[in-house]
Amino acid sequence: MGFFFHIGRYFSMLKRVFARPEKHKLYIRQLFHEIDNLGVNSVGIVIIISVFIGGIMTIQFAYSMANPLYPVELVGLGTRDTLLLEFSSTMLALIMAGKVGSNITSEIGTMRVTEQIDSLEIMGVNSASYLILPKIIAVVFVFPFLYIISVFFGLLGGMVTGPIAGVISIPDYISGIQWLFYPYYITFSLIKSLFFGFLVASVPAYFGYYVQGGALEVGKASTKAVVNTNILILFFDLILTRLLLT
Amino acid sequence: MITLKNIVKTFDGNTVLNNISTVFEQGKTNLIIGRSGSGKTVLLKSTLGLFEVDSGEIWYNDRNFTQMNQKERKILRREVGMVFQGGALFDSISVEGNVRFPLDMFSKMSPAEKQKRVEFCLDHVNIDKQAFNLSPSEISGGMQKRVAIARAIALNPKYLFCDEPNSGLDPETATVIDQLIQTLTKEFQMTTIINTHDMNSVIEIGESVLFISHGQKEWEGTKEDILKSDNQKLEDFIFANKLYAQMKKGQ
Repeated sequence: MGFFFHIGRYFSMLKRVFARPEKHKLYIRQLFHEIDNLGVNSVGIVIIISVFIGGIMTIQFAYSMANPLYPVELVGLGTRDTLLLEFSSTMLALIMAGKVGSNITSEIGTMRVTEQIDSLEIMGVNSASYLILPKIIAVVFVFPFLYIISVFFGLLGGMVTGPIAGVISIPDYISGIQWLFYPYYITFSLIKSLFFGFLVASVPAYFGYYVQGGALEVGKASTKAVVNTNILILFFDLILTRLLLT
Repeated sequence: MITLKNIVKTFDGNTVLNNISTVFEQGKTNLIIGRSGSGKTVLLKSTLGLFEVDSGEIWYNDRNFTQMNQKERKILRREVGMVFQGGALFDSISVEGNVRFPLDMFSKMSPAEKQKRVEFCLDHVNIDKQAFNLSPSEISGGMQKRVAIARAIALNPKYLFCDEPNSGLDPETATVIDQLIQTLTKEFQMTTIINTHDMNSVIEIGESVLFISHGQKEWEGTKEDILKSDNQKLEDFIFANKLYAQMKKGQ
């Protein structure tokens, strides 16, 4: 089936997703459940990855700038800008596409192959809206918070690792992360994280919602969903960077 | 009552249902029987609108379902209960939550009234109170089917559809499920359509039986008529089991 078929079906699914909900109260209850399931449960992995990447970047910047002509603050500046501009938005979205995206595809896909979605439809429930809308809202809502958490713990990771590895002192690192700071970088990345949050929820939901077959196909759909979400994240990263940063 | 008129359904050029007409009567257990792949499930799902028919008409009493738009169908579906082959209970919520779900979604009952209705439905299908808070994966297959029936009757439906409600169950539990469906059909005067290839069900509750073969209506009658039928395909299907063949010989 062609590329345009999937595009058409994806937008037709979105039209159903954003239809007027049957009962707001149930959707809100579902939304809180998804915020907890997809967002709060991801905080731990975001912190672990960010701390390590922050530390690794600090060591690598120090290594590549081991030249007396370069000011030592460049290590903190480099770590900060990489976290702000790319890692905590794009790389984190790629990681979340693996964790949250595959979870969404397998959950919705399993509901499809076990006829739970048919069951909702027969009850007269808009299954696309009931199952997917709370997930999209939840992920779009939590992504900016995850971005902020990631930046904070990434910088913290660099601050802890730098002195332990003996590559930079804490005062130099703090001075570096304050040097030539452009607040717009945060605005830019928050905008990106909203886009990426939408992709991370809606694309895997699409692959799960239209899965056909059994457990094997659900697994294949999860893989396809993660791969396609990653490609779309990188594509939109390029577009957004061109539009908002240059 | 549900009336099917000349239903035709094809998939990629293959005719799966060919000109099927029948009437499913209210207050009766209407069985659709046939071999695997004969088109039973497609007929059931087409009647529900999960598959769009290519031609023909489906009438729910005096309402033409095939002419309805999506919004009208959604409203009509609130009068429909369905028991799926695998139960199709929602994994993420408890037994009680599954039965309450349609009430939360569509009724204007107070929480106390909902609780009363949930208990009434679960009690009708003999589910013990201790199982109310268990998740569907923690109960047996037979119990899952009974919870699915309780969920299907929660909104007091006029029409009940059951897709192979006995599959995967032992004969004793299967008989319990059959009798339960028949009792509920009589009690609530529903139009019940059951898709099955279980001959015990035909003998137990086959008040009206539609036999389809290769997507065509082959025979129609009651369980008593089966013994008198001279339809070869029906005979081959029903009496494939030696026990039933001996029963026929002895009438």
